[in-house]
Amino acid sequence: MHWSFVRKKRRPKDDELGVIETIMKAIRVQHIGGPDVMELAEVPTPQPKASEAVVKVNVAGVNSIDGQFRDGRLRTPLPFIPGQEGAGVVTAVGPQVKALRVGDRVAWSGTLGSYAEYVAAPEEHLVPVPAAISDDQATAAMMHGLTAHYLVTDAHKLKAGETALVHAAAGGVGLMVVQMAHAIGARVIGTASSDDKAQLAREAGADEVIVFTRQDFETEVKRITGSKGVEVVYDGVGRATFEKNLNVMRLRGMLVVYGMSSGAVPPVDPAKLSEKGSLYMARTTLAHFTATREELLARTSALFSMIADGKLKVRIAKKYPLAEAAQAHRDMEARTLAGKLLLVP
Amino acid sequence: MQAIQVKQTGGPEAMELVELPVPEPNASEAVVKLTASGVNFIDVYHREGRYKVPLPFTPGQEGAGQVVAVGSDAKSVKIGDSVAWTATLGSYAEYVAVPADRLVPIPPGVTDQQAAAAMLQGMTAHYLAHDTYPLKRGETALVHAAAGGVGSLLVQMAHNIGARVLATVSTEEKAKLARQAGADEIILYSRVDFEAETKRLMDGKGVDVVYDSVGKTTFEKGLNVLRPRGMMALFGGSSGAVPPFDLIQLSQKGSLYVTRPTLGNYIATREELLARSGAVFAMITSGTLKLRIQHTYPLAEAERAHRELEGRKTTGKLLLIP
Repeated sequence: MHWSFVRKKRRPKDDELGVIETIMKAIRVQHIGGPDVMELAEVPTPQPKASEAVVKVNVAGVNSIDGQFRDGRLRTPLPFIPGQEGAGVVTAVGPQVKALRVGDRVAWSGTLGSYAEYVAAPEEHLVPVPAAISDDQATAAMMHGLTAHYLVTDAHKLKAGETALVHAAAGGVGLMVVQMAHAIGARVIGTASSDDKAQLAREAGADEVIVFTRQDFETEVKRITGSKGVEVVYDGVGRATFEKNLNVMRLRGMLVVYGMSSGAVPPVDPAKLSEKGSLYMARTTLAHFTATREELLARTSALFSMIADGKLKVRIAKKYPLAEAAQAHRDMEARTLAGKLLLVP
Repeated sequence: MQAIQVKQTGGPEAMELVELPVPEPNASEAVVKLTASGVNFIDVYHREGRYKVPLPFTPGQEGAGQVVAVGSDAKSVKIGDSVAWTATLGSYAEYVAVPADRLVPIPPGVTDQQAAAAMLQGMTAHYLAHDTYPLKRGETALVHAAAGGVGSLLVQMAHNIGARVLATVSTEEKAKLARQAGADEIILYSRVDFEAETKRLMDGKGVDVVYDSVGKTTFEKGLNVLRPRGMMALFGGSSGAVPPFDLIQLSQKGSLYVTRPTLGNYIATREELLARSGAVFAMITSGTLKLRIQHTYPLAEAERAHRELEGRKTTGKLLLIP
């Protein structure tokens, strides 16, 4: 953990004499709560530990997990700087850093403390960013892109000719899943909350879009698939969609729950899986699909290639100054924007 | 004809030998004269009323025999064919009417008794090892109840694929059987904790798949011995039904998969039924799959067969011979 640098009025130890301790701007959460608990603060700029690099953050990504840390659904010691991902330039490296050099462009995810001008990250979290990829694109390729990538390549390896149901198809992950699934040659059925979002999902490659605010997705998926059901459901919604998901899958179909934006799914009776057709169910998290450095780099390089080749389009919903983090969270939680939200320190 | 009938659900004595008319095939059925009828736990559940069927009924879900009559629309078989089937109620009898598209031909080199013994357990082991989680050479599977009917066949198939097999059993005698079937490691769960033992045998790494027919007493610990992104294949509940579980366990324990398969969904089309039964029969004729038919009983002794099955003294297949 790297909380030490937020301690106020720390007296430098002897061995740190000579290190210029500077001050940076960062968002700080001192107690959990709504968006307004995020305040702009001045804190010491972090110094790298032995195997860390310090990065000047050019953009930080806003993710639903940030809201879960902010309101206490996920726990971390207080006070803390939110934010898990971003892109920027290496400004300092610890003595045990192997490959990274000052000046390298990098992106990362899974490093708390990214809503700041500088963040210290373990070298193993940092991914080199090729010249053809902008900071905005690189950031969007992290949590959202990596998630979409493991969903279609590993959680359920989607094949041409299969049909996938993608919930929240105009969301950050959803838009990328739709594009990748379409590129594989799968038939994509998306769900979205409004006609505007439905249009975005269609542009991303969805063959059919169900506006779930006025259409029952179970009825619609059965109609669209001729009652056969889909091979896979990619679901980041959770509670609100779970039961009906089980009714729209074909025999031996796969439900991948990768998030629970509508709340936690109540306990599941495994007998349901057999009754509904020997179904499979997984509850996945990104960390298990980027567990090794090789796997992380393989996924990011695949994503960067798709972006550079124009096969994967990144949609930036809005960019906010760092000081407006609270507004970014309000917008994220209102679900009015489609695509990636970014903070600019 | 002679048949076993259950008029009221209950214990083994609820089964009585009665005289019934020989069934006539409807348009899509064939009538088969049975030479062997398999005894399975599902027959006990039907008899007890745990699984509901309208009363009175003739139990029995699998068998083998010769076709003696075919309905007008039944094109897949003809009179005189040697056939086997599963998942059709009424097999504890001299004759049974079966939907013709559920009958599979018994190839030369496979006896009727072998065919009857292989239909439910053999095809279950086959779909588990080849489809539910397609095992690959070098992977590791944990098989619970490895000396049981499905278990001992599953161990053989997993071993033949080239997977490493960790097998749980309750007694030394069953340990020996599991070892003969090809298990690499035996876990005597009556003496050691299977979770700790599996972790020790795996050097802290998890197994790729757990095949679990035990259910209630093994499910949670099974999740703890899986590798990240590993698969829990829960295909039965001999110790009781697994209670509802929190999905978050699956992400916390490593983005795990859970499935609860049943045979019917893995032989849903005639094409798949033929392919699967054919694959199992081919393993029998080539000698790579060994069935253990432990005992045959006259039809009239169905009650004794159930008592012995439920007493769990048996380690092989029980057949009724009408």
